[in-house]
Amino acid sequence: MSDLLYFSEHTLQEVALIFMAVVYSLRIRWLFKFKGGRERQAPTGGIDSTTRKGIMYSWAAIAMPWTMESTRKKAFFYAQFVVFHIGVVAAIVLSFLIPYAPSILQSSAIVIIFQISIGLACIVGCGRIVRRITSKYVRAISSPDDYFSLILLTVWFGFAFFAVPNNYQQGEGILLTYFMLTAFFLMYVPFSKISHYLYYPFSRYWFGKSMGYRGVYPLSRSTSQRGAEYGN
Amino acid sequence: MGTNTRSYKAEKVIERMGQKLNRQMVTSLAGCVHCGMCIETCHYVLANPGDPTYAPVYKADQIRKIFKRHYDWTGRVFPWWVKSKSVHTDEELEELKDIVFGKCTNCRRCSINCPMGVDYATFNRMARGLLVSVGIMPEGVAVVSKDQWEIGNQMGVLKEEYLDTLDWMQEELQSEFDDPNIKIPIDKKDCDVVYSINPREVKYDPRTIADAAKIFHFAGENWTMPSEGWDMTNFGLFSGDDELGGAVARRLYEKVEELGGKTLVISECGHGYRSTRCEGPNWGAYDVPFEMESSVITMLRYIKEGRIKVDKSRNTTPVTFHDSCNNARSCGLYEEPRELLELVCSDFREMYPNRAENYCCTGGGGAMSMSEYTNRRLKSAKIKADQLKETGASIVVTSCHNCVDGLTDLIRHYKLGMQVTQLVNLVSNALVVEERIAVPVEVVPEAEELEFAGRKILVADDEPDFITFISAILEDNGAEVIKAYDGNQALELARIEKPDLITLDISMPGKSGVEVFDDIKKDKALNKIPICIITGKPELRKLIYEHPDSHPEGYMDKPITEDGLIRNLRKIFEVGHQEKVSVEK
Repeated sequence: MSDLLYFSEHTLQEVALIFMAVVYSLRIRWLFKFKGGRERQAPTGGIDSTTRKGIMYSWAAIAMPWTMESTRKKAFFYAQFVVFHIGVVAAIVLSFLIPYAPSILQSSAIVIIFQISIGLACIVGCGRIVRRITSKYVRAISSPDDYFSLILLTVWFGFAFFAVPNNYQQGEGILLTYFMLTAFFLMYVPFSKISHYLYYPFSRYWFGKSMGYRGVYPLSRSTSQRGAEYGN
Repeated sequence: MGTNTRSYKAEKVIERMGQKLNRQMVTSLAGCVHCGMCIETCHYVLANPGDPTYAPVYKADQIRKIFKRHYDWTGRVFPWWVKSKSVHTDEELEELKDIVFGKCTNCRRCSINCPMGVDYATFNRMARGLLVSVGIMPEGVAVVSKDQWEIGNQMGVLKEEYLDTLDWMQEELQSEFDDPNIKIPIDKKDCDVVYSINPREVKYDPRTIADAAKIFHFAGENWTMPSEGWDMTNFGLFSGDDELGGAVARRLYEKVEELGGKTLVISECGHGYRSTRCEGPNWGAYDVPFEMESSVITMLRYIKEGRIKVDKSRNTTPVTFHDSCNNARSCGLYEEPRELLELVCSDFREMYPNRAENYCCTGGGGAMSMSEYTNRRLKSAKIKADQLKETGASIVVTSCHNCVDGLTDLIRHYKLGMQVTQLVNLVSNALVVEERIAVPVEVVPEAEELEFAGRKILVADDEPDFITFISAILEDNGAEVIKAYDGNQALELARIEKPDLITLDISMPGKSGVEVFDDIKKDKALNKIPICIITGKPELRKLIYEHPDSHPEGYMDKPITEDGLIRNLRKIFEVGHQEKVSVEK
């Protein structure tokens, strides 16, 4: 292993992680500089609905596609979302496995699992790029950051896919690019829309707290659904 | 463009945005990933396919870009990269007004469908408030807000008018049951229930007050209505003006405290319930010491406790239920109305989607007061119309006065032939009264005795409530009323029906009242028909009176009174008659 690859796998990643953590801390500090709301009303809604249930439901909603019409009616799109995010997790875990626990990747089954996860995410990423360019609605709302973040992740998936076997003996190019991209990704995300996962716990916490207190969460709907829902 | 070239209003909007932001709003503004999952959840989008400017995320971005430019570091450092952008001119603020008031009813349907928990409706309301604070708002919002600030209720109902209406309803009830003990108590101290209403009930739908009074009476309730501070609606919710919201809510809370009431019962109104029950204590920084509940819950409780008996066989027409956005999506009030409907109706048919997923009536968020967006509103109402039609019901029930107006308008527009009613009306109708006294037959005067008997009057106005109001007065006085809801329809009906008189609003969709007036006066077959202008915009009066050839025979400013209307129209007919006689001589 060359010094450059070693540096990329260790020092560069550690610096990038520290940088990301610092920026995230500043981001959270910034968020908490804004005032918090105080709820003076007495709770509304049924007895089954509480603040605590609302928060839990809100956090878990993303894993319950049947609870939101937007995910319920777009099962394929939701499946893409799941695949894409599993790919992100796999590619991040990979960046720790290679330098700190390379023996795990000696199992061909593990390698295949990682490659399938990341490969599918890469395909979904390509599909998302096409959608962002071709859908009139999505194009109208997209910023350069939206395009760049998506392309960055998709390319990163591509290199991660080939980096999974960790065969630096057969050439370091793929691994070097993967780790460089990972470092760039870690340093870029706090400034981009990819940082949404930083906000997710907070936005869903406050929304769930309010909706739970007011008896809206957990959502209740009639189950005898028929075809009048638009988009079916 | 530099900061120094920014208009005063734009400067204030940016400055005040910083004061309004809270953590929940900031995460909603910063956390959007532009995934587009919200797009098809909005009725505006569904009714305007192919137009991305109606998408919730697009609309939200018009506010978000200002936030990013001034309050988010990425937007400040790399504005083009994240599409952040400031506002500089009043024209840009006008464009923002068109979006936040004219393309969103704050129904919150997109909010519950956002995987990130972005609550667009909350910061859309904030943006409305910012624009209102610098005087940029639809005219209707300005008028209604002014009434609520100055007169104490959003329809400018005077205290005498309110008390007269209660007195009238009390007399009706006493007459119906031949019982002088049926009362609508005013300002009674230490009651268990203080009942608050929507001024629309006084103005256009007093039967809901009588129905509620009937239910309270037969439930044996110790109740009262306040002589002041009785309006539970709150235009602050729609205008985004927290100060107005707080002032209106406090007025009501303080009155209940003054009366020593134990529970404030809020009549059926979605935004009124949300404002009074949920948002008011926050806006007004008021820790409310008494209970508050919707009249839906009160009525249901009376039935469950056996305080009133109902017979569902009295309501056999198929009904469906429309969930008000504010009740269902912001206050969790969606099971109780269904439970009550099952008790008082024999044929209840669910609407889909329903509860918190229901579509907006399209009249929410104050949309009914913004006549400049009427065409847009009615186009988006196609979604609701299809939903209603699908139920096969003849009556749509809703616990919201705003929805009553919105639904009535779209039902007429899409010719659905349905009626809109409220739970209080159905409960009242199903109410079993022991040893019911025979209802005395009202003596209706002979047609010849009525003021406008034999007269055909065309009423042209774009406000359905106003048409209902004026038609009721004219019909009670023997007139045959023809209704036109826009200028083109008014002209067409004038040509077909050749009415004896036309009441004409000036500001209407399609041809304006001024254009209709011109066309009628130029048309030899129509130019003898007297026209009475009735407008809420007195500043437009000169458009008519500066007319080179002819002037209208009558003119009235809104709001009008029954006596004023009759007096004016009588005068017009008298003058017309005298002119005719002198010509014949």
